[in-house]
Amino acid sequence: MSDWQPKILAILCNWCSYAGADLAGVSRLQYPPNIRVVRIPCSGRVDPLFIMKAFQTGYDGVLVSGCHPGDCHYLSGNYFARRKFAVIKPLMEFIGLEPDRLQFSWVSAGEGERFSEVVTKVTKDIQKIGPITKMVKGV
Amino acid sequence: MIKIEKNKFDEFLEILKKEYNVFAPKKEGAQTSFKEIKFAKDIEFNNINTKIPKEIFFPQAEELFMYKDSKIENIEKKKAIAVWGVRPCSAKSFILIDKIFGRAKQKPGDKNFEDPLWKTKYDDSLVFTIGCNTPASTCFCNWVDCGPFDSTGSDVMVYDDGNGFLLEGISKKGIKFLSDIKDFEESNDKDRQNIEVLKNIAETMLSKPIDKDLLKVKIDKSWNHSIWDEMSAKCINCGACTYNCPTCHCFDIQDEGKSNKGKRIRLWDSCMFPDFTNEASGHNPRDLSKDRFRQRFMHKFKYFPENNGDYLCTGCGKCIQVCPVNVDVRDVLNKIIEF
Amino acid sequence: MVKELQEKVKQLFKDKKVDMVIGWRKGSLPLSSSPLFINKIEDVDNLIFDETCQNNLAVYITKDKRRLVKDGKKIGVIVKGCDARSLVLYCVEKQIKRENLVIIGVPCKGVFDKRKVMEQVDNKEVLGFSVNGKEVTIKGQEFEKTLDKFEIASDSCQSCVYPDAPVFDEFITEPRKEKPDIDEFAKVDKFEELSLDDRWKKITDEYSKCVRCYACRNVCPSCYCNVCFVDQNDPQWIGKSPEITDTIIFHLIRNLHVAGRCVECGACARACPEGIDLLLLNKKITKEIKERFGYTAGINIDEKPAMQSYCENEKQDFIMG
Repeated sequence: MSDWQPKILAILCNWCSYAGADLAGVSRLQYPPNIRVVRIPCSGRVDPLFIMKAFQTGYDGVLVSGCHPGDCHYLSGNYFARRKFAVIKPLMEFIGLEPDRLQFSWVSAGEGERFSEVVTKVTKDIQKIGPITKMVKGV
Repeated sequence: MIKIEKNKFDEFLEILKKEYNVFAPKKEGAQTSFKEIKFAKDIEFNNINTKIPKEIFFPQAEELFMYKDSKIENIEKKKAIAVWGVRPCSAKSFILIDKIFGRAKQKPGDKNFEDPLWKTKYDDSLVFTIGCNTPASTCFCNWVDCGPFDSTGSDVMVYDDGNGFLLEGISKKGIKFLSDIKDFEESNDKDRQNIEVLKNIAETMLSKPIDKDLLKVKIDKSWNHSIWDEMSAKCINCGACTYNCPTCHCFDIQDEGKSNKGKRIRLWDSCMFPDFTNEASGHNPRDLSKDRFRQRFMHKFKYFPENNGDYLCTGCGKCIQVCPVNVDVRDVLNKIIEF
Repeated sequence: MVKELQEKVKQLFKDKKVDMVIGWRKGSLPLSSSPLFINKIEDVDNLIFDETCQNNLAVYITKDKRRLVKDGKKIGVIVKGCDARSLVLYCVEKQIKRENLVIIGVPCKGVFDKRKVMEQVDNKEVLGFSVNGKEVTIKGQEFEKTLDKFEIASDSCQSCVYPDAPVFDEFITEPRKEKPDIDEFAKVDKFEELSLDDRWKKITDEYSKCVRCYACRNVCPSCYCNVCFVDQNDPQWIGKSPEITDTIIFHLIRNLHVAGRCVECGACARACPEGIDLLLLNKKITKEIKERFGYTAGINIDEKPAMQSYCENEKQDFIMG
């Protein structure tokens, strides 16, 4: 599987991380083409179901990114999101899924460069783990 | 009637395996359920508390067909099935489900509706029913026209007299199978007497059945009665009873696919779920817990007997064992009679 | 103790402090009990409390669309420690007003796990039992076996640190002052020591038994959504077959929905007809929440649940630096 490339679902909040990704593009910054972006209103909107569903349909990794703490457009959405993430990730690891497949980050609208760094890191991490086998639903 | 010593069961299994995929109770962890068997040592002979064998002919999820690109692939037919060691209540349940999947009629004179998935599996099968020497306290087969040695639905009836199994052909298929195998000795008069003794003992272990005529009269009048509120109050509407019931056969059809391939599957469904009757408009005719609770018992003890002549219950008592809140069918029937 | 309980409930009816009481009655099988709804004083005599009273009766407050309690009617619930915590949770989540609730605590000494008993007696027919301190004698047709009570207790009871109601209006006898000296999360810690692949194998082995009857969800007092996400069909989130990934997603998401709300009563595990160890994931989440946020569900009526609150300067080691 030398030519295997991971498929990563990037769930980005509308106000910060999505704009950050935009800035990365406008600034012509390079980052791996492995992510597929889903724009959501706020990281607080992320239901654990989205993440599990992504793995089930065959995504090798999931990146969830929102505004930095204190910067949420809806004031506290990302604080609630953070509590959710704090539980989802250990639970995922607990049932035996590789923890690095699921990553969280805070990227603001001005951090185009950071966005490209985050995506590069996540892609590298997941390349290291290899293709997902555990949670995928076979048809 | 032929006799198989317990130490000769291996030989018998070999003969059976030539033509059939053999299913028998197998212990896995704490549970005993019907699994495909290769060796006699895997069979759990004595446990009366097995899971019901419905899954053999009517699996929880069954593929109707698969597709890839624009081609449909039908599911290939497998070797015929033989089931060893079902209890009379389960054997009878096959006949009851067969009334729906095998030979259902809209009205008299109509052609039979035949469900191909059920028919191909069930019609070629050989059912070995083992009589229950010691019925459990949850058994109430005698209430619903079944019994610990009832042979309805069996091809071959098996009696366990302690030393060996006595096999009696019941259906044409069963009689033919037994006449074809030769290496085993015939049973004698003493064996037959033993069986009678076993039967009599088992009968005495069962509780006194309810008055069926009275049940019919009462259940017809019970629809609006408050007993249904009382009895359903504790029911939490899970599907444990229906999924462990040998006669429950309601199903749902789902499509599962991704990109260019997928399948259509038939799944068990349960009248206990609100989803079961939810309509596209959002209206649900059985919205409350009580409605669904009543439906389950009405279907088993009123609608099915009216349409098909039999109770849709074989008295196996599995639902009593698995119910998390101790809803007991016998209590329900007694309450209906008493109101 | 049962006599006292019955007297107390009768008194509550006489004083018009309750309109209805939910308790347990003797079940139709030797090791079972059945929920009992008492509307009038004569029914009180059926009330029991022993090691078979395994249901969490709090569930009946939220069960079904036709709610049991309507407009200011007062409802009494007889509770073990875990059941009381469920009631506290309901008060916190505004499912019922505290003043409409009469919490009647009983001293819980653990409940049986029927499956464990059956395993101990090789699935032979059980006809009765008697408890003598830490020993339980199980009687059957042709046998009698003495078992250690702790060993046949439900998993949740083996790791229970709140056997008595933390909040109550009435208590039969006295609530114990000291918490039991038990390592709540021993099983979780042990499981965590396994390798990733071993854990995944164990989890898939366990959950492949699931038949999706949803008994776990329906007996769970914390699960009271009007429409559960598995029942949604527009859009349909997960497949309905007992396929393993669908099954794991169902359980995982359910666990996450009750994260910080689960009172570890173990009703799910006892209700499961397949005997799946459902409590393990819940315990893991409870542990995580306790360690990170210092929160335990159903102890304090005035405390906001962990997932409905936040703290600005929390540890965020799981987020990329």
